[in-house]
Amino acid sequence: MNVALIGCSGIGRVHAEAVVKCGLNLAVVADKNQAAAQALAMDFGGEVMTDGLAACARADVDVVAICTPTPTHGLFVKAAAKAGKDIFCEKPFCRTVAECEEALAAVNKAKVKLFVGHVVRYFQEFEAMKAQIAAGKIGQPGFAKLYRGGIFPQGAELWFRDYEKSGGVTFDCMIHDLDWVRYVFGEPKRIFCQALMKAHAELPQDYSQVTMRMKNGVIATVIGTWAHPHGFRVKAEICGSGGMIQFDSHDAPLNVQKRQTGAGSGMIVPSSPVDKSPYQLEWEDFAGWLAGRNKPRVTPRDAIRAVQMAESALKSAETKRPVAL
Amino acid sequence: MAKIGIMSFAHMHAYSYAACLKELAGAELAAVWDDDARRGRAAAKQFGTRFLADMDRFLASGLDGVIVTSENVKHRAMVERAAAAGKWILCEKPLAPTVADAKAMLQACKKARVGLGTAFPCRYSQSLIDAREQIRSGAFGEILAASCTNHGQFPGGWFAKNELAGGGATMDHTVHVADVLRWILGREFVSVYCELGNQFHQGAIKTDDLGSLHLEMEGGIQVSHLASWSRAKSFPTWGDVTIEFIGTDGVLLVDAFNQKLNVYSDAAVKAEWAYWGSNPDLGLVADFVRAVDTRTEPAVTGMDGLRATEVTVAAYKSARLGKMIKI
Repeated sequence: MNVALIGCSGIGRVHAEAVVKCGLNLAVVADKNQAAAQALAMDFGGEVMTDGLAACARADVDVVAICTPTPTHGLFVKAAAKAGKDIFCEKPFCRTVAECEEALAAVNKAKVKLFVGHVVRYFQEFEAMKAQIAAGKIGQPGFAKLYRGGIFPQGAELWFRDYEKSGGVTFDCMIHDLDWVRYVFGEPKRIFCQALMKAHAELPQDYSQVTMRMKNGVIATVIGTWAHPHGFRVKAEICGSGGMIQFDSHDAPLNVQKRQTGAGSGMIVPSSPVDKSPYQLEWEDFAGWLAGRNKPRVTPRDAIRAVQMAESALKSAETKRPVAL
Repeated sequence: MAKIGIMSFAHMHAYSYAACLKELAGAELAAVWDDDARRGRAAAKQFGTRFLADMDRFLASGLDGVIVTSENVKHRAMVERAAAAGKWILCEKPLAPTVADAKAMLQACKKARVGLGTAFPCRYSQSLIDAREQIRSGAFGEILAASCTNHGQFPGGWFAKNELAGGGATMDHTVHVADVLRWILGREFVSVYCELGNQFHQGAIKTDDLGSLHLEMEGGIQVSHLASWSRAKSFPTWGDVTIEFIGTDGVLLVDAFNQKLNVYSDAAVKAEWAYWGSNPDLGLVADFVRAVDTRTEPAVTGMDGLRATEVTVAAYKSARLGKMIKI
């Protein structure tokens, strides 16, 4: 199975490793920044290309992995679908629900498979929490609080700083938690959000505070931060009628502190030492689906619903009103 | 020697304030009154003072000040009686469950020319004092946002009865943080949105045990606050007060009571946190004693109590109407 990966900085590197580790062939690495593609090819192999659309169209490619900035996802999904490729797309699926629907229509028309990387569904600690809840350890769940973030991410050409493109921490980062809350507690009823979205020449700051009421009555409060001077932290807490669960990424079996250089640090998304990374697990799930062995944990409809939740959060932040879902 | 009386031991904080009075050299716990005579008598005995069953006799017994630690809805009547008798008053939080009650209490104390303080001991929490100094020094730039919690275990009893508490966890656990933010940031709250629920004690109680509040302060500061009785019985401590401040030049995370030992005792079965930090209640009561002695206002005033109550009351209104409410 030949994979063409488009978008070689940041998350693209993480996915390249997962592709290789689960035994797929990384055939093409494409980035309009040739140096980024070359650097990735050096570590994981693959033919370097600078034209993502041409990569999608190559006859020897079976799967296209889209790791580019969000606003380009729709373009590449449609191009890959048109060329008959199965598709892995980094989350968020697209920047708007309308774009998602258009892209999914192309996927359905081409009868190809689309998987969107809501990787938190594969994080071992989150799966463990879900299992504890399902086992009844905390009784009837009534409340969840999730917290995620750290320093403002760099990204190719600093694209995250353009809030129109990235949607800020609410859309790009918190979408993980919005999806996970729905995955565990079912459909949301309404969402309320406050978001900073501050611009700054050196380091912008975004901080997002969301509360969702789920249809089953659960209240979920989610905090997303790109306002911290450094680091990355994930915290989770689920409370129920008979107990509670807490998780904090600062409780870790391995802590390392590298000397800071003058160039400063980018965002490093931590993951606990595990035998298989959550990214590899999601790729195995996707690959299993392609091979007809299993259904994927994340469907395109899940991904669209996540975009809708995040879009609604931003609408709430703008209007200062709860938005019905 | 300031002679202080305690009116009602309905609120568990009364026991801590009584212990503080015993500890302070310049104060005397001179008498206890309680509308539950059995409870009052037991408390008086525990703290080595006298119990007076008649409120008029209690108020005429030569006290300089009183601490009111009754059920929330009874605060007003007791404060009004104590004020009329010329006593300096420290009232347990929330000052009152309604804005009308709180205003009437302020009015009564003003008319009687007595000092009225609201029991917000967080103002004497060393970590919050330090956070305030750091923020006020300007070292963290402008504060843009804060996310807060005041979680607790379910206190049971009258706390869960609307007719005595005037609300549930949101009534109980919003005012501390609301006051701390006003005190640290020097801004008032302008609006609130609130999701309210009985999330953990369905069937057992009729009030809310969780409120998720989204507030805005003057200058557009974005604040979220969680007020709850969500801590399990098996949780190692009573709860928390936490605030993450987001400033233009950095972040401060306060976990006010995170000075603890992890204690694993087979006698307790569950793990426990033994708190070893300073006692904020002592600072609160010491300031009240100072106010009584000097015939001045306590540092945390009745007005501070009123402002915090306004936030809580607006939060309940928001939950009822399903929209953001101006405060």
